[in-house]
Amino acid sequence: MTNALEVRGLRKRYGEKAVLKGIDLCVRRGDIFALLGVNGAGKTTALACIEGLRRYDAGSISVNGRMGIQLQSAALPAHIKGGEAVELFARWNRRTADAGMLAALGAGDMAGRQYREMSTGQKRRLHLALALICGPDIVFLDEPTAGLDVEGRSALHRYIRDLKAEGKTIVLASHDMAEVESLCDSIAILRGGEIAFAGTVTELTERIGKHYDIHVRTDQGSQTYASDHIEVSLAAILKSCREHHAVIQDIRVDRGSLEQHFLRIAKGE
Amino acid sequence: MNGFLYGVILQWKLDLRSRTMLITCYAVPLLFFGVMGGIFTAVMPESRETLIQSMSVFAVTMGALIGLPPSLVEIYRSDVKNAYQANGVPLSLGLILCNMSAFVHLLIMGAVLYGAAPVLFDARLPERPEVYFGGLAVLTAVSLGVASVIGLAVKDTANASMISILLFLPSTMLSGIMFPREMLPEVFTAAGKLFPAAWGYELMTAPAVSLRTLGPLLGIFLAACAACGVLLRRIRTR
Repeated sequence: MTNALEVRGLRKRYGEKAVLKGIDLCVRRGDIFALLGVNGAGKTTALACIEGLRRYDAGSISVNGRMGIQLQSAALPAHIKGGEAVELFARWNRRTADAGMLAALGAGDMAGRQYREMSTGQKRRLHLALALICGPDIVFLDEPTAGLDVEGRSALHRYIRDLKAEGKTIVLASHDMAEVESLCDSIAILRGGEIAFAGTVTELTERIGKHYDIHVRTDQGSQTYASDHIEVSLAAILKSCREHHAVIQDIRVDRGSLEQHFLRIAKGE
Repeated sequence: MNGFLYGVILQWKLDLRSRTMLITCYAVPLLFFGVMGGIFTAVMPESRETLIQSMSVFAVTMGALIGLPPSLVEIYRSDVKNAYQANGVPLSLGLILCNMSAFVHLLIMGAVLYGAAPVLFDARLPERPEVYFGGLAVLTAVSLGVASVIGLAVKDTANASMISILLFLPSTMLSGIMFPREMLPEVFTAAGKLFPAAWGYELMTAPAVSLRTLGPLLGIFLAACAACGVLLRRIRTR
């Protein structure tokens, strides 16, 4: 399958500080890909370089297709109406403004509303609509659901899945691990300007998924045990309970959430 | 209708919705015209000869220097420019659209003064309307050029307002629209010539267009355009 995005040896410095230290990325066409990292890891810089909004010092970036970009920090003139903004950017990109697009994003009521009167969520949906106007093959979304309520978030997730179904590639930066887990085909985790992990969500959980938390409740109290070898640990716990004449009331084993795995890798633990 | 033309019309509408542009392009100049027109013609009846030109210079200088910079700051010192760049719109579009819209607003104001002054204050119409309107267009373009430099160079609207007023006051006071420039000390007369208002007033009141008055205005305009180019490049790479 052809790749929608290929990044090789991307480097970027701000003065003395190296923000990107030669990162490699590969996103398959039609995938939903997430770039993750704690604050300061370099993901915004990486995305800005890929989107062509920032110059980089070394490396190569190949984007195969038309890009649509929704930035986290974008705004419009205070008095412009949603419908006018859509019309302006559509005409500028020689496209026909799609009246149904705002409605599909749950933002149909924004067409006649001035930008200054919109809520954060409405602004975010409007910027997403603007990013999609040019009929992009690859869509970059920076924190797309930040500031959205549950309904807006759900509508946006549906819309992102619809975009994927249309064959579009989605690259998103997000802090919402539940969102990443439910939407993404592949992820990359940036740590200190380097790729600490690249692969699928399943590969990530398999890589460090041998870490378990075993919660045991007995008639003498509750306790949680951390374990890397579940069979050995369970046997030891059962033996200990027998020796202490404790009656086991409940045993629960947690495999650890994606968020825990992400934090372990992102922080280099 | 292509994107550019739609953008021009849209910017025109946005300016009408924005109180800043309405106040600086229409409300204040009309108020000034109503009050000062009455005073000038009562105190100095001969001011009727050039009332249209002097009020036009005030309106253009006010609308351009005070009205335009905040609109540019809103685009270029905020996340609006990010939206432009992300959606494939040239960074210069905001500058061009704001200038074109303000240009039309100020020409309309000039036309209003041209029609109202003879009726309200018995002001004399310019002998050659084409010289008046040509001069008005040139002065408007040059003033907007200077205002654009302010709008692109400053960091926020507070700084924009301060610098605009610092330029606006000497520009109008020393231009000759309030009182004859011959009454001013030489140093002030010379200082007045640094601003487009003085040259614009001279251009509009002259019997014919001359290179002596047009040349400095053209020079200021070209310098402003060059400065805007440099500032836009700096904004793009920021």
